[in-house]
Amino acid sequence: MHLDEERVQRLLHGELSLEAGRSAREHVAGCVDCRRRLMEAEREEADVHTLLRALDDPPPRTSPEGVAARAGAVAVGVRAHDSAWLRRAASILLAVGIAGVAYAVPGSPVRGWVRVLVRKVGGRSEPSTMPPYPKDSHAGVSGIALLPGQKFLILLKSAQGGGQALVSLTDGPEVQVRAPAGAATFTSSADQLLIDNRDSLATFEIRIPRDAPWVEIQVGGARVFLKEGPRVTTTGFTSAAGGYVLRLTPSGP
Amino acid sequence: MEPEKSRSFQDQFAELFDARFERIYRYLNRLSGDPELAADVAQEAFVKLYRRGSLPDSPEAWLISVAMNLFRNAKSAHSRRLRLLTPARGESMLSDPPPGPDEAMEAEDSRRRVRLALDRLPDRERRMLLLRAEGYSYRDIAGALRLNEASVGVLLARARRAFRNIYEESFGAP
Repeated sequence: MHLDEERVQRLLHGELSLEAGRSAREHVAGCVDCRRRLMEAEREEADVHTLLRALDDPPPRTSPEGVAARAGAVAVGVRAHDSAWLRRAASILLAVGIAGVAYAVPGSPVRGWVRVLVRKVGGRSEPSTMPPYPKDSHAGVSGIALLPGQKFLILLKSAQGGGQALVSLTDGPEVQVRAPAGAATFTSSADQLLIDNRDSLATFEIRIPRDAPWVEIQVGGARVFLKEGPRVTTTGFTSAAGGYVLRLTPSGP
Repeated sequence: MEPEKSRSFQDQFAELFDARFERIYRYLNRLSGDPELAADVAQEAFVKLYRRGSLPDSPEAWLISVAMNLFRNAKSAHSRRLRLLTPARGESMLSDPPPGPDEAMEAEDSRRRVRLALDRLPDRERRMLLLRAEGYSYRDIAGALRLNEASVGVLLARARRAFRNIYEESFGAP
């Protein structure tokens, strides 16, 4: 029995397990036809790599420190010419701080000025894309981030006595779940995230990539949310901020 | 304890950057034919990783997925991101000995032929071929392109064959 195409390619690319690789190599050693197919695949691969090199340009000169500085971090070893920028940032922060103090002083006229200004410009702040994460007295938050495959199931093991799941669709690549520290434990596999939330009253924040093809959320075995391509069906409701609010309490009789 | 933890992330980040930046850049550059856009997007992917503050379970898969999303957004918006770092193509090449006129013309001709052949492949095959050429695993390719991992080998073989056939039909054997 000859190797199928998938196995030939996996042998070429070192994508077979040790045992499967050994068995495939043994077969190829004794099979003229499969040896010819493997050699042809190797030749094609070499040709393609040679051709693709014609497209290459030298990579930019860059460093992790440069990226870290760009990310807004206070990188170790910030270069001297960055200090002017830092001074400007510090001046702005100082000005904001002084304004904050002036606003907070009892009887300060600044509060009135701010109210008038807010009314004049319409006074609405931009809604966040996500409902605000509930403040928790235990400051810690735990969570997990995973890349979903074709189908991904988020399974909250139990219905709760209280709490919600706040679901939002994001442009990121990962499914992210956050909860107050200690509220749940997370166990993940390639296509599933199991959240053990027994005895919890916590609210969970769940972010789902907009381009994930299929993500389902179940609570205590019941489906409460399903995203299939762009279509979302849910037992919850849409929040003003554009996300979804799912009840974690048992459904009524 | 906190400074120790964050130093450790910075070390891990620096290692990952040194090992993988060029690979992501090269993939994006081959895909787009635009070295400046490729540099912007590759750097932005690492900026996002740095801001994340911890490494994901599979950093390479994470980085390439983020880079591909950023690339798609950058293309669809026809917008250019702020250049994070400054190297222009010409500037980078100053460090190399300049090629002779014949050599340069031949390289440009070769680039044009390969670009034409690559552009005639369907998008998924093109991306798949380029990801594999950078050594991404079947698992990473399947994750990045939302494919069934079990059939990545067959799809790669088809893409490779299609690319070589298109090239040969147009320009002769490579």
